[in-house]
Amino acid sequence: MDNVLSARALMGISLGFHIIYATIGIGLPLMLMIAEWLSLSTGDDLYHKLARRWIRPAGVLFAIGAVSGTILSFELGLLWPRFMAFGGPLIGLPFSMEGFAFFTEAIFLALYIYGEQRLSRRMLFFCTIPITVAAAASAVFVISANAWMNTPAGFRLVNGALSDVHPFQALANPAWAHEAVHGTLAAYVATGFAMAGVYAATLLRGQSSDYNKRALTMALAVASVSLPLMLATGDWAAMILADQQKPKMAAMEALFTTTRGAPLFIGGWPDPASGKVLYGLRIPKLLSILAHRDSDALVEGLDAFPPGTIPDPRLVHPFFDLMVASFFIMLAAAVWFWWLRWRRREVPLDKWPLRALLFASPFGMIALESGWLVTEFGRQPWIARDHMRVAEGVTPQTGISLVLITFLVVYLALTAGLLKLLMRPASAGEGTETTQEERHVDP
Amino acid sequence: MWTLENLAAGAVHLGLVMYAVFGGADFGGGIWTALASGPRVREQRDGLFHAIGPVWETNHIWLIFVVVTLFTAFSKGFAALFTTLLVPLVIALIGINFRGAAFAFRHFGRQTGEHIPFMASTFAVSSILTPFALGMAVTSIATGKIVFVNGWVQAEPWFWVGPFTLVGGVVGMAICAYLAPIYMTVRTGGELQRDFRRQGIIAGLVLGILTTVEIPVAMVDAPLFAGRLLASQGAPFVAMSVISGITTQILLWRCRFLWAQIAAAGTVTLTITGFAAAMYPDLLIGQLSLAAAAAPPATLRAFFSVLVIGVIILVPSLLLLYWTFRGEPNPELPR
Repeated sequence: MDNVLSARALMGISLGFHIIYATIGIGLPLMLMIAEWLSLSTGDDLYHKLARRWIRPAGVLFAIGAVSGTILSFELGLLWPRFMAFGGPLIGLPFSMEGFAFFTEAIFLALYIYGEQRLSRRMLFFCTIPITVAAAASAVFVISANAWMNTPAGFRLVNGALSDVHPFQALANPAWAHEAVHGTLAAYVATGFAMAGVYAATLLRGQSSDYNKRALTMALAVASVSLPLMLATGDWAAMILADQQKPKMAAMEALFTTTRGAPLFIGGWPDPASGKVLYGLRIPKLLSILAHRDSDALVEGLDAFPPGTIPDPRLVHPFFDLMVASFFIMLAAAVWFWWLRWRRREVPLDKWPLRALLFASPFGMIALESGWLVTEFGRQPWIARDHMRVAEGVTPQTGISLVLITFLVVYLALTAGLLKLLMRPASAGEGTETTQEERHVDP
Repeated sequence: MWTLENLAAGAVHLGLVMYAVFGGADFGGGIWTALASGPRVREQRDGLFHAIGPVWETNHIWLIFVVVTLFTAFSKGFAALFTTLLVPLVIALIGINFRGAAFAFRHFGRQTGEHIPFMASTFAVSSILTPFALGMAVTSIATGKIVFVNGWVQAEPWFWVGPFTLVGGVVGMAICAYLAPIYMTVRTGGELQRDFRRQGIIAGLVLGILTTVEIPVAMVDAPLFAGRLLASQGAPFVAMSVISGITTQILLWRCRFLWAQIAAAGTVTLTITGFAAAMYPDLLIGQLSLAAAAAPPATLRAFFSVLVIGVIILVPSLLLLYWTFRGEPNPELPR
């Protein structure tokens, strides 16, 4: 494998891996905070127990998030030193801010996890506030760096050298706002659905304790509040994209030719050779309406840009559709559950709605990962759009494929260890404590 | 003197010192897990294990702080370092990964005993490997073997393996192994405290011998560095670290553990500061000055404004953390 491809593969695998843990590190603290607050305000200790049951998986997942995040911060330099020499002065600032936020999160998480015997209940609740806020803030900051790569801002280039550098303008680059809001909310949806799935599975096994019902309701409530916001922010993101990142938009929607009254393709395989979308569902004029709120608006297709500066729609369009489809799968499962919950005034224990939730539970994470892939593949071939190509940013060191193989082994070992730990069946003789992941179940 | 790039270099230095003084002790815990001896092996290991639990992730973040500050404030230097030091940094990363994962797995999966030996040995081996690789990486910037040709960095593939960096790697390990038992003397009592005291004294001797040996090795293998270290810019720190090291040994001998803990952290701080002072004013000795490696002033100013806000939030939080978990480590698992 050549160096650029190896470096891209390694960075992609590292990020794809880290994103899962980072997402839970953002979503879970909110659950902890809500549960501890409910416990304090209602005086019901069950909520506190609920939160304390989550800290064991939280501790492991957060630790893996921390080390996989370290790998990423090193890989920025190990794989992309030329990009960092150029972009470091501009994207370093959000990374520094993210570092401080993450630091704060780690401190208060340690206090919360280990402080049960040393801190009051009120103080434990207080600790969950900085964890939640700092976790969301670190997502918002780090997304700014990603947004900068899409819409570089805050500098001028004079003879290839940076000049007129404004780090705060770089931080608040045009793509930041929609990416940050959409991306952070996605973490709540993904975590909420993942946890709801775990409790749906528990209820399906017939362990319908009050504890499991409440846990399911809480997790799904957080996800369900965020879900419509995902649609709204997604629509907002698309409208801004149609203005700021036209090639990415065209690749997402598999629009090969610039069209007035552009159609929306659902599904299908974009075929660059023929410039057509094969097997897709074509809805006339919808893309123009979504992008510009005008059924006859002009939408630039991939042919509007010079060859060699556009992304491959085959890598972008399918992931975009996967993201949108995931949204509707989750929406359907959530609506079904809440409808029954509202009609019966209690958590429905019927098989099919719970199975639907179980089925929908990984789609939050799938949507988040595919949304990220859309952003990244949609930016190609640029590492900093219109300024530096990916191939120009890569390290001059050879043998990156060896590093790739090494880290593949590391990630496989980590995942195997984690799965072994989280999936281990409860050992006998432990009384009420079962040690499965979030699968903690009351007898 | 008080230029922006010097202040930024001070921030990197501070991060490195904090990482060594706090994170280093956690690696030292892993090293002494492997080296534990005598009739109380199990107690020693358990004590180290429980002490590291609540703080290692926080301590680890100092490393991320160093890396992020480097690429924000010294983007060009960061690019040069991470290009040429690919191999030792990858080794350190693997160690960091397995150390963290092994610790977390072991900690949270302790209810079934079957994984412990394997996880414990992974934890120990990676705790030895990481400071060694990081020590080699840090000392290799003082060798002068990283050079610039036509504005881009170059170095021989294995330039980072040499007498000076090998001793540097061992010094990195020794720093960690030195801090952990001395910190533990404050948090334990009785026989166990005496075990840690003995370990601390031995590690102090080893660290003293290694850093002394490093000076003649540097004269041969890193002459520019050795010259600056023994000149007026480095010599005072060398002298102070020697005094601090001897003071620590006396305090340990006389069982003044609280003071010994502070003096030991001081010794490590002064040792690293001596290294940094001899590097000044360069990031890559003789090849890339701090000023040449630095990001534009606007970036540095923005970085410092963020740093101030960060410090205002972090310092009280850190004090709360260490205050809450002061004293004897809790053996109970979190629930």
